[in-house]
Amino acid sequence: MNSTQSPGAAVRIENLDKYYGTFHALRNVNLSVERGEKIVVCGPSGSGKSTMIRCINRLEQHNGGRITVLGTELNDDVGNIDGIRREVGMVFQHFNLFPHMTVLENCMIAPMIVRKRPRAEAEATARRYLEKVRIPEQATKFPGQLSGGQQQRVAIARALCMQPQIMLFDEPTSALDPEMIAEVLDVMVTLASEGMTMICVTHEMGFARRVADRVIFMDGGEIVEEAPPEEFFTSCRNERTRQFLSQVLGH
Amino acid sequence: MISLLRNQKVRNALLQVFYVGSLAALVLAGVVIARRNLAEQGITSGFDFLYKSTGWDVSFSLLPVTANDPYWWFFLIGIINTLFLGSIGLLLATVVGTVVGLARTSSNELARLLGRTYVDIFRNIPLILQAFFWYAIITHLPTPRAAHEAWGMLLTSRGLYLPAPNVGGVAMALAILPLFAAVALPVWLGRTSRLSRPVGERLVIQLAGIAAALACAVLILIVGRLPDAPLLDFPALQGLNLKGGLRIPPEFSALAVAIAIYGGSYIAEIVRGGFKAVGKGQVEAALSLGLSPWRVFTLVKLPLALRAMLPILANQYVWLIKATTMGIAVGFTDFFMIVALTINHSGQTLEAIGILMAGFLTINLSLAAVFNRINKAIALKGNQLRG
Amino acid sequence: MEMVVVAPPAPGTLEDLRRRFFATPLQALLSLVSLAIMVLLAWKLLNWAIFSAVFTASGGPEACQAAAGACWSVIAARWRIILFGLYPFEEQWRSALACVTVVVMTVLSCIPAFWTGRRIGLVWAAGAALYYVLMKGGVLGLPYVGEEAWGGLALTLFIFVTTCLIGFPLAICLALLRRSGLPWISRITGIIIDSVRSLPLISILFTFAIVLPFALPQWLVGDKLYRVILGSALFFSAYQAEIVRGGMQGVSNGQEEAAMALGMNYWQRIGRILLPQAMRNALPATINQFVISFKETSLVVIVGFFEILASGNAAYGTGEWRFAYVEVYAFIAFIYFVFVFSLSRYGAFLERRMSVGER
Ligand SMILES: Nc1ncnc2c1ncn2[C@@H]1O[C@H](COP(=O)(O)OP(=O)(O)OP(=O)(O)O)[C@@H](O)[C@H]1O
Ligand SMILES: [Mg+2]
Repeated sequence: MNSTQSPGAAVRIENLDKYYGTFHALRNVNLSVERGEKIVVCGPSGSGKSTMIRCINRLEQHNGGRITVLGTELNDDVGNIDGIRREVGMVFQHFNLFPHMTVLENCMIAPMIVRKRPRAEAEATARRYLEKVRIPEQATKFPGQLSGGQQQRVAIARALCMQPQIMLFDEPTSALDPEMIAEVLDVMVTLASEGMTMICVTHEMGFARRVADRVIFMDGGEIVEEAPPEEFFTSCRNERTRQFLSQVLGH
Repeated sequence: MISLLRNQKVRNALLQVFYVGSLAALVLAGVVIARRNLAEQGITSGFDFLYKSTGWDVSFSLLPVTANDPYWWFFLIGIINTLFLGSIGLLLATVVGTVVGLARTSSNELARLLGRTYVDIFRNIPLILQAFFWYAIITHLPTPRAAHEAWGMLLTSRGLYLPAPNVGGVAMALAILPLFAAVALPVWLGRTSRLSRPVGERLVIQLAGIAAALACAVLILIVGRLPDAPLLDFPALQGLNLKGGLRIPPEFSALAVAIAIYGGSYIAEIVRGGFKAVGKGQVEAALSLGLSPWRVFTLVKLPLALRAMLPILANQYVWLIKATTMGIAVGFTDFFMIVALTINHSGQTLEAIGILMAGFLTINLSLAAVFNRINKAIALKGNQLRG
Repeated sequence: MEMVVVAPPAPGTLEDLRRRFFATPLQALLSLVSLAIMVLLAWKLLNWAIFSAVFTASGGPEACQAAAGACWSVIAARWRIILFGLYPFEEQWRSALACVTVVVMTVLSCIPAFWTGRRIGLVWAAGAALYYVLMKGGVLGLPYVGEEAWGGLALTLFIFVTTCLIGFPLAICLALLRRSGLPWISRITGIIIDSVRSLPLISILFTFAIVLPFALPQWLVGDKLYRVILGSALFFSAYQAEIVRGGMQGVSNGQEEAAMALGMNYWQRIGRILLPQAMRNALPATINQFVISFKETSLVVIVGFFEILASGNAAYGTGEWRFAYVEVYAFIAFIYFVFVFSLSRYGAFLERRMSVGER
């Protein structure tokens, strides 16, 4: 991979624009994430949060601006895309586990066929991460046989098995019941404490307070506010942010 | 160069160009080779042959035909034969399928068993085998001299002879119009007066409409009959052969029967599936409103089942229309057989195959279009329904 | 209105019968009519097929014509022609063995343990190879028998198996091309699939058998049998492609996105994630398609092959058995029935099993 001027930045987004047909989903977004930094992204529904983080591993193609991940620019070069996806893990709102494979196979498949690790090593890694997300005993079950919280933890383990340098979370807890949210957040907090670079879209403000280095508020496809959590929650400048916060924290 | 190949946009463009290009090259090469091969046999390509006379005859035609008629006329006859056999076959298959399908969904166990046996047997035997079978049966019927007779009809190895009205062609064609009206009228009446009149009164109006249309048709036939002849012309033995009446050749009846029986078994399953798709909840809701079982059937079950059936039924109809090409197995001159004969006699291979494809594409696409229209017209409006 | 609660009487057998079949006058009528039809048909059929039938070939056709019932002697006399066609008499055991191979292969592929791409591919490739060696010979001390001498059931099965073997991978390719994100590829593939689907199979077989040789260079023409198989495989794949595509539409987008996010490339996503799930979704419809295409192999009789239908026609068409056509067709129908019915029952079983297992 070719290095650029700031090898330190894990993700650098400059003047990003994204259209769906004629709909302007992201407008001139700028964001830089250092290695080891934890970013929480929030904002009302349809504000472009998912679109932004999906651009980072090119599940969506952007139309303008530059995205540089780990020193590699995301452009039409096919090799770059594959290289970056290997280093960037992603956790989805609806888990997206592979239903035709056991939990263990879900965790082993990508290391084996993408990173070409031998089976034994992949299995050892998978078991280690399943241990870490606290469901080692479910290894031989199928995703359909697990609860939502368990499935999401498997999804986290699956992403971690690729040993990525950056993790993206797109509302990992919003499809879960309250008691399951805690178990998933616990795992994410542990992960954060180990120094993983994380970009999380979430409305769990407690998690943001505890873990985030910066909180970002998006609305209408733009980054409206960007601040450390204490500042964000106490003295935000923007009217829209305040309104949103009062809604999220209000009940 | 390498970086260009790694560029996704370039790659996508190249892939498409390659795919389209190689397909086009394949087709083009085939056409060029074929034209050269045909030219070596002294066949000039082009559609001029359509205006030459064929020099051969067809065994079944609804239109007047001689061996001097040009090819395009023969193609027309083929298409009409295909459509004729297709619509008769579809009609019979739909009747059979509806009866058997209703038997399969009936609450009576014996009727269900009967329906199921029918479906299991006739669905699992290839259509062409059934066509061969019926053809063999019909051609092994007694000769005209020893014909079976029933109600003026004669069953012989030369075909089925029906009494035919002695009526001119124009009057015959005119008489078909009221028949269409007889079908369309009740439907139209049913739609327009759906809510404004009680069901019983509506039924009377519909029946009256049908009766009027039928009376109209009979009247036209009587007025248009040929002079100095009885209204009905009965087939009768004259010498070694039968004269008079309407002859349905064995090829046609064998195919129609086979399509009706085989297609009926498929349509029965579609009918059953349609009724199965009607939610229990809807039926229970209707019953709990105090509607009688008959009303529940006509007002709730049937309309919903029809909507569920229609798309699958459309596919089945397309399939059955295509199945008429089996005519060639028993010597029925359908569209495909005309094409095959044309290739044999004139050697205009590419053109004939082109006409064949265009013909079937047109038939099937129009059928699909009609069904799409109906589907859209009767589809349940909105997408907010659950379960 | 008064409410009356009546305890249901203990259902005796007679009471039970009455309630099931004679609850209302209409029901009773329906039951009686159905029963009458069934008894009448069953009696006629049994009488014809068994009680008044002639079974042995010893009496010859004359004994048959005297009897009122079926003449199974024709089968006893001509079964070899029907099953093996013109295959050399002393070698017909090979033809029989080849049929058994196909049956074994089909049964094996119905067992879930074989439902991985590699295993099922292996079973079918090995089965087809074994079939080919047995039928064609020329190796292992088996005398050579050319394709033009193949016939009867063995030919029917051969055409069916090779149609599936070629058509199935082709169907997957077509389905993938049609759902491709590249507009020209998906559009043109769509046109190809839809046109093939709206043409009758017979016209495709006819084109491949008789017209295609004009459009091919000499060295590519090949044997008519293989051209016809190619045509029938193309037709099969156009239908099967839509089934596979339907199965793919049942797999949520998230599955492919998750695979992408893990860094899998296109072929890995297709092979490991999309296809396994799509094929599972498409299984009942696929079996149904196999059933249809097995029945449709009988159409090759029209382009002049000596498969089971043609050999049946020949079995009664010549000389003294001319009157025994019903029996011959019944026999062939029975053979088809056994294959098709068991396959479709199996499909129905799978469908039920899968709808139970659904979450
Ligand atoms: N594939 C698509 N095609 C067209 N429009 C899209 C598509 N995906 C998203 N959009 C639009 O882009 C906008 C941003 O969508 P996005 O999914 O990023 O919102 P979000 O902030 O993640 O919302 P939520 O909190 O509901 O997930 C929305 O208005 C949405 O309608
Ligand atoms: Mg979102």
